Amino acid sequence: MSGRQEYSPSEMMVVAASRLLRDGETVLVGLGLPQLACLLAKATHAPRLRMVLEIGVLEPEPVDPAIGIADPRLWYRATCHTSFTETLGILLQGGRIDVGFLGGAQVDRFGNINSTHVCENGRPVRRFRGSGGACDIAALAGRVIIITPHERRRFPERVDFCTSPGFLQGGRSREAAGLRGGPVHVITDLAVMGFDAETREMRLVSVHPGVDPAAVQEATGFPLAWAGEARTTPPPAPEELEILRNRVDPHGWYLR
Amino acid sequence: MIQDKVRGLQEVVASIPEGAHVALGGFAVSGCPIAFVHEMIRQRRGRLTLSQAVGGMDTDLLVGAGLVETLIFGGGSLDRAGLLNQVNEAILRGTIRVLEQSSLAITLRYHAGALGIPYIPTRTLLGSEMLEPLVEAGEVEVAEDPFEGQRIVRLRALQPDVAVLVVQMADRQGNCRILGPTWDNLEKARAARRTVVLAEELVDEEEFRKAPEGTTLSGLYVDAVVPLRFSAYPTACYRKYDYDFDHLRRYATLAQTEEGFTQYLEEYVLGTSDHEGYLCRIGEERLRDLRADPERGY
Repeated sequence: MSGRQEYSPSEMMVVAASRLLRDGETVLVGLGLPQLACLLAKATHAPRLRMVLEIGVLEPEPVDPAIGIADPRLWYRATCHTSFTETLGILLQGGRIDVGFLGGAQVDRFGNINSTHVCENGRPVRRFRGSGGACDIAALAGRVIIITPHERRRFPERVDFCTSPGFLQGGRSREAAGLRGGPVHVITDLAVMGFDAETREMRLVSVHPGVDPAAVQEATGFPLAWAGEARTTPPPAPEELEILRNRVDPHGWYLR
Repeated sequence: MIQDKVRGLQEVVASIPEGAHVALGGFAVSGCPIAFVHEMIRQRRGRLTLSQAVGGMDTDLLVGAGLVETLIFGGGSLDRAGLLNQVNEAILRGTIRVLEQSSLAITLRYHAGALGIPYIPTRTLLGSEMLEPLVEAGEVEVAEDPFEGQRIVRLRALQPDVAVLVVQMADRQGNCRILGPTWDNLEKARAARRTVVLAEELVDEEEFRKAPEGTTLSGLYVDAVVPLRFSAYPTACYRKYDYDFDHLRRYATLAQTEEGFTQYLEEYVLGTSDHEGYLCRIGEERLRDLRADPERGY
């Protein structure tokens, strides 16, 4: 035994995300890695974590892989089936959602997210899914965790279109727009990022084991604020990997 | 004498005028009123305004068929089967007008419509680039909350001319039992001037009277009940049948081009006389395989 545990970049992302969830919190979550992060947190340090799907599903326990949140596989063994009025209106806007998970095509320096379209020469050239509940979650969740692959085109200086508000132009601009909360962490396959308390610029919190901090900067389209020497993200513990592989995603639907 | 609201699909579609505002019930790959949309395309009901929080295959078909003028929605997709390629292309090419907003905004706008109030305040949309075009279009307004002085958004109420939902069970008076999450469907059904339900199963009113607590949408809001099996196929109808992933994938691939989309329409919509003809093209064996497991619901 070398003591070195092999794990995939997605496993590292899920483990890093799960550690940011606290016991007893209510999480508005999408399909895939965020869902796995919640299930891992529930199986480890946060047994009383509650999951909410925006479509109107509370605390599901799916057993088959789903193709999206409109897939009835993801609604299995929920404690309640309800509506947007309840999930996005009463739970989220009413202030009962502690954490929202978001992905997107682009995330910029101030944590603004674009899931609508990208532009070339100032004109939209490619469209994605649009907001759905993403704008609501970004505007109204207690805090937001962003999960996305780390590629330079996904981290531009400024998003082509702000679907889901982060810290807007930085500083106090989010508060001035009438919003509280905001993004707290960005988790990628290379690193964990946070936001400076004053400037609200994205800054490096830790790089995953084996990743060169220069490679993180290289994959980011703006200068990453840097708090001294970059820390290393604690790697997945053997028991976390055991739970992920045997209980959370036993067939490797999301993690392979 | 209690009114019998059972109608045929062709008759219901024929009663929808050109230029109507239609609120569709689908969300990506679940609960899309496909049978209704097909008949709209066969009868060429055009110049429509469509609204729904999250678009699905229903929206993509109507937009692709060139029947839509304005789209009020929060985006959409076919989940992992693909994007709404026809909708996305039409928006990029500027052939339809789009008023994009969030799912909560649309749901609240229907709710205001149902309540009969002109607008409803919310905290969402602030800071998003969706806000400005909506303000310019006169759909929303940024204001100050008169009690606490905070910045809020006033959303203008939405009252569609027609809402169309797929429901698992209905009686002849339009009482419905809708199973599974309902996203924005109850709100739009209550806001619309007319509501049409495509009922997978027509049950006796006595079933509702025996357990009124199970009625999710009262017949008070429903104007027409169209009994139809597999009305959402190839999208899912929870506890009745699963989505057909292969069919959705094939559609999403074909819908990436004009020729492919036209080919799909010819094969499944224009080349079939009615909904039963469409189901015949899919085949009974395939439909049987998609029947939901009673315990899991899919």
